[in-house]
Amino acid sequence: MTEFKILTIKESVFKNNNERADLLRESLKKDKRFLLNLMSSPGSGKTTTLTQTINRLKDEMKIGVMEADIDSDVDAHTISKTGVKVIQLHTGGMCHLDADMTKQGLDGLGVDECDLIILENVGNLVCPAEFDTGSSKNAMILSVPEGDDKPLKYPLMFSICQVLLINKIDVMDVFDFNLELCIERVKKINPTIKIIPISARTGEGIDEFAEWLRTEVRNWKM
Amino acid sequence: MHELGVVIEVVKTLDRIVLENNLTEVESIVLQIGEISSMIPKYIEDCFDVAIDGTQFEKTKLKIEVLTATALCRPCNRVFKLVENEGKCDCCGGNDWELLSGKEFLIKEIVAC
Repeated sequence: MTEFKILTIKESVFKNNNERADLLRESLKKDKRFLLNLMSSPGSGKTTTLTQTINRLKDEMKIGVMEADIDSDVDAHTISKTGVKVIQLHTGGMCHLDADMTKQGLDGLGVDECDLIILENVGNLVCPAEFDTGSSKNAMILSVPEGDDKPLKYPLMFSICQVLLINKIDVMDVFDFNLELCIERVKKINPTIKIIPISARTGEGIDEFAEWLRTEVRNWKM
Repeated sequence: MHELGVVIEVVKTLDRIVLENNLTEVESIVLQIGEISSMIPKYIEDCFDVAIDGTQFEKTKLKIEVLTATALCRPCNRVFKLVENEGKCDCCGGNDWELLSGKEFLIKEIVAC
């Protein structure tokens, strides 16, 4: 008869992933490569925002993009038109990327010469917030049609990001979106977050985001 | 499916624990899930069956303990149950509080040999 015993573990399920993410972040820092994890709901304008941002930065730094989706390669195809290196990652039905998958993506992309790598995470405001990818910084997009109540509904996502882009401000009049109230709600969860209202369609605010990225990439190399 | 991803993470962690402790069989695992952790116990159970399929943990039983969400009201300096009182202090009715528990997602223990 085998003897079973109780082993007390008391360990967060996310500990494993957090450790691997820290290792990945360390190696990125050592190699002077900045990884931005970009998150949002589906349809918030991640790919359009990226295209605009890449066009402003591609002449001054080497950029690589990883597109994570459950299926298809439409986003990778769109980004590839900007001329930067891009790879499509399929999560195989999973709703987020973890540190291991991010590492595999980086290896697949071949990022040796990249200064800036942008990971476009799966469109989802829940799971990606819970899994550290090993990124240098986290950014998220909230678009006007989604509503100004999203910080109340998905506080974790808003709490782990260093920058928030509020997109589609060109159509703010059509929607009952209160920008001031939204900013107040976000700042309550995350007082140090940088908030940039943008319109990926008209290009408004993209310069400010590009400047933020420029500074972050520079600081990461120091 | 949100729960599937985290349950797969549970199985990965189990793999590591088994290796570290030279175990051969895990009879059961106890997870502690905070009341406001965004994990739904029923879904965790369903996903667990899928996640252990084809692994060494096919026979491992899952038990879930739900941890009550509690908060400390700053003005009253007292602890209250968050969900039961709908996010407001049961004494002063205010919402100036600090979360003490309820967001956990832990592997509490395993029964193994």
